[in-house]
Amino acid sequence: MTATDAHADHDPHHIGHRGAAGYHSMAVGHGEGGPASKRIIVGYGFWIFLLSDFVMFSAFFATYAVLKDRTAGGPGAHQLFNMTDIALETGALLLSSFTCGLMSLEMDRKRLWPTEAWMLVTGLLGFLFVFLEGREFAHLVSIGDGPQRSGFLTAFFTLVGCHGMHVSIGLLWLGTMMAQVYFKGFRQDIQFRVLCFSLFWHALDIIWVAIFTLVYLIGVHG
Amino acid sequence: MTDHHSEDIAHRVEGGDVAPGDVIHGEFTAGWRTYVLGLAIAIGLTIASFWVAQTHLIYGPAIDMALATLAVAQMGIHLIFFLHITTGPDNTNNVLALAFGILVVFLVIFGSIWIMIHMNQSMMPPTGMPAPQSGGM
Amino acid sequence: MKLLGKLDWSAIPFDQPIPLAAGALVIVVILGVVALIFAKGWAPYIWNEWICSVDHKRIGVMYCSLAMVMLVRGFIDALMMRTQQSVAFHSGGYLPPEHYDQIFSAHGTIMIFFVAMPFVIGLMNFVVPLQLGVRDVAFPTLNSVALWLTAAGVLLVNMSLVVGEFSRVGWLPYPPLSELTYSPGVGVDYYCWALEISGIGTLAGGINLVTTILKMRAPGLSYTRMPIFCWTALASNLMIIAAFPVLTATLAMLLLDRYLGFHFFTNTMGGNQMMFMNLIWIWGHPEVYILVLPAFGVYSEVVSTFSGKPLFGYRSMIVATMAICIISFLVWLHHFFTMGPGGDVNGVFGIASMIIAVPTGVKIFNWLFTMYGGTVRFRVPMLWSIAFMITFVIGGMTGVMLAIPPADFILHNNLFLVAHFHNVIIPGVLFAAFAGYVYWFPKAFGFKLDEGWGKAAFWFWVIGFYLAFMPLYVMGLEGMPRRMQSYDVPQWQPWAHVATVGALSIMCGIACMVIQLVVSIRNREQLRDDYGDPWDGRTLEWITPSPPPEFNFAVMPNVTGEEAYWGLKEAAREQQRITRPVPEYEDLEMPRNSPTGFVCAFFAVMMGFALIWHIWWLLVLGFIGAYATLVVFAWRDLHERIIPKEEVARIDLENRARRNLALQEGRV
Repeated sequence: MTATDAHADHDPHHIGHRGAAGYHSMAVGHGEGGPASKRIIVGYGFWIFLLSDFVMFSAFFATYAVLKDRTAGGPGAHQLFNMTDIALETGALLLSSFTCGLMSLEMDRKRLWPTEAWMLVTGLLGFLFVFLEGREFAHLVSIGDGPQRSGFLTAFFTLVGCHGMHVSIGLLWLGTMMAQVYFKGFRQDIQFRVLCFSLFWHALDIIWVAIFTLVYLIGVHG
Repeated sequence: MTDHHSEDIAHRVEGGDVAPGDVIHGEFTAGWRTYVLGLAIAIGLTIASFWVAQTHLIYGPAIDMALATLAVAQMGIHLIFFLHITTGPDNTNNVLALAFGILVVFLVIFGSIWIMIHMNQSMMPPTGMPAPQSGGM
Repeated sequence: MKLLGKLDWSAIPFDQPIPLAAGALVIVVILGVVALIFAKGWAPYIWNEWICSVDHKRIGVMYCSLAMVMLVRGFIDALMMRTQQSVAFHSGGYLPPEHYDQIFSAHGTIMIFFVAMPFVIGLMNFVVPLQLGVRDVAFPTLNSVALWLTAAGVLLVNMSLVVGEFSRVGWLPYPPLSELTYSPGVGVDYYCWALEISGIGTLAGGINLVTTILKMRAPGLSYTRMPIFCWTALASNLMIIAAFPVLTATLAMLLLDRYLGFHFFTNTMGGNQMMFMNLIWIWGHPEVYILVLPAFGVYSEVVSTFSGKPLFGYRSMIVATMAICIISFLVWLHHFFTMGPGGDVNGVFGIASMIIAVPTGVKIFNWLFTMYGGTVRFRVPMLWSIAFMITFVIGGMTGVMLAIPPADFILHNNLFLVAHFHNVIIPGVLFAAFAGYVYWFPKAFGFKLDEGWGKAAFWFWVIGFYLAFMPLYVMGLEGMPRRMQSYDVPQWQPWAHVATVGALSIMCGIACMVIQLVVSIRNREQLRDDYGDPWDGRTLEWITPSPPPEFNFAVMPNVTGEEAYWGLKEAAREQQRITRPVPEYEDLEMPRNSPTGFVCAFFAVMMGFALIWHIWWLLVLGFIGAYATLVVFAWRDLHERIIPKEEVARIDLENRARRNLALQEGRV
């Protein structure tokens, strides 16, 4: 081990037996500098959680892909969806992702009211999204095309509904964070939580991109 | 507490480790610019997606592929401009975790589709009649 | 609407004496323990120092204790199955079919989810931060939440013994049998909700440990210096993060089918039951390696320590571990070769399944070469490791046989398969858990376990294992399907008798382990580990006193090479004193204990129970309670408490003095 350190010293691209000296990153948390800062630990932990959430969604996506043609004599994708609503939902969620980013910028500057205001805008846009989706679901159920109708509709309601549920939980979280920022200020751990929230919110938008493409656009076109 | 925070900033500036979501140059205007740029590209890609789905200008069978490409591009834009995942050395762990996640997501989705297509084929009646589309009894 | 949903007096099985008596016994024991705790005035201690503890060491100990209690429960199920099959030739035996079905379902569920998982997670929780040279895991309170959510799952499964029934459809609820049409009772619901709740706990624990390993290591502890147990823990927890969400999603789909009439896996209306097999095994196969990789880590530590040599092929071990971590996501179809995906799909997954045996083989050779030329000490952990190597190779080879699709068509779903997976999982996981238990027990409690009783337990277990499971291979080859409540083939019965004798021998082994614990506690002064390194260890946990102080390390160790502790020890031995200078002690911040985990789990049980019995108001109440708990926790102002540097110095200096004494006496 120590014998190879000497070589590694000279060659930064040396592969394999790297000792402390030759290691390419002095970043904390990579072993050299000891434990990383709390902010990085929290952010990274939440990042892994988001990845696990992606994997969970992938199970629902896979199921949707497998069940999408099994309509049991009921309607298929191209007969059901109202593209105007989908476009509106997409716009609302995308904009809310943007305002969520602005919120985190204001939080970095520790300005209370702008932060709260962007949180509120984010929340309202998120609420609009959930409302539109809920209206679409209610409409489908009312015309007899609820999730019990066919394998396809089961998979559709579950995949889209799971995303909608995530957004709803996000709204509950956002409301809680608004109260917390208001009452407790920009305490460090609260900032971490808001950071996690914004990661969560952006990640939901990524999932939505997959949903509107696979379920709605390709579904309606195909 | 402010000590901790400035220490975090210091890590970011000195090319230490970064948390996902951290704007690397934590300045306000630069951050604002990043989000506006990200939003603009994302809007462009979204409009393109909706347009592609309805247009007749593109060769029909290619539309699905075009939509998939646009979606992947848009996800990348979100990752870079909103989640600030980059390929910098300070981001190694974040990107490695992402790569692992993407690998598993792909295995789950495409593995399932592949397996289930073959299973459905094996379920077909021996006469070679197509399986009922409904999947009912 | 009825206030208690589906729950009424008919849920209590008054007509079935066995579960009722067993349930009553458990309730009496629990009440007795609680009464004892209050009578002796221990309640505040138990509450403050254990139930509310966020210390990774205590959480690890509680995970392992939970696993050991459940091992007894799962083993009693096993013993009932073996005796049933012994007597059930041309007769109904003593267990009615619906009860027998619950028993084999409960046995599998409990052994995997509530014995193997908590045992392995407990060991990782206890050991990893110590080996990394840090004071706690990344998210200590989340750790406590994870523990108690696992306990919530355990509680729900055991509740089914007395209130209602357990699942009768096997350890994995294959539809359409598990759909409402064919399983209208609450058994499958108990199963699903218990696993959903404990699964969230497992996922939280996985996130916690991955973050800890990747972001919180002592200075200088780069990836290629991490003890192999940490590497295997990293791989295992990465797999938890990637696999458990699929389990959550799959069971959620089944529950939607059952509760809301969805059509994921139904026979009609476009459902596709094959998708369930596909999804459940996307989780299920990585799960096997989630369990076995940390076990390989334990063996690596034990073999290296008791051979007095660094681990042979450390780097190849890392590569093998990470290769298994990836390949294990590519083999899931071998669990349903026979369901008809066809030749080419079967071929791909069959070959992948054989390939995964290669890194495992690399590991076996590494352990053998570690022993070769070493000074092997045949202490109890080492005995378990050697038994593992021999037994696991047999199990692995029958596994490669099953990975050949044509052979699998003949052997699937019969006792050959049952013999195979017990033959890998018992030596592969359980023996490692026992080895780790004996190996790290002195670190956790400050005294060693009795060697004689440990060896007795070992021999009863190993002989019992061979007697119990080798006959199953024969019965399988003679065509006996798994899960038979009664049969009429005379050739099977003699082998069933042998297997029962094996199970009885294992029972003696478990009894020896109980006696070992009691005897060791009684003789703890003779068995005392006074300076913290009873086995001549090589990794950082042995630098701490036994048991380690709450903060683990007074100052964070600075790692300068592989086997961080061994180098320091060599220097210390040469000079007969600790060569590290006395550090400048500082005030330490440690996370404050919190009841959040316990209270969350309480509400989780409430919600699970409400969902199982359709008591909707209770569900709402549980949700509000859980949310309120989290908010209360989030509103907390003080997260940490300070341990003054005087206290740190006192503890550390005392430890140094004891170690110096041991060094001078040449005991180290």
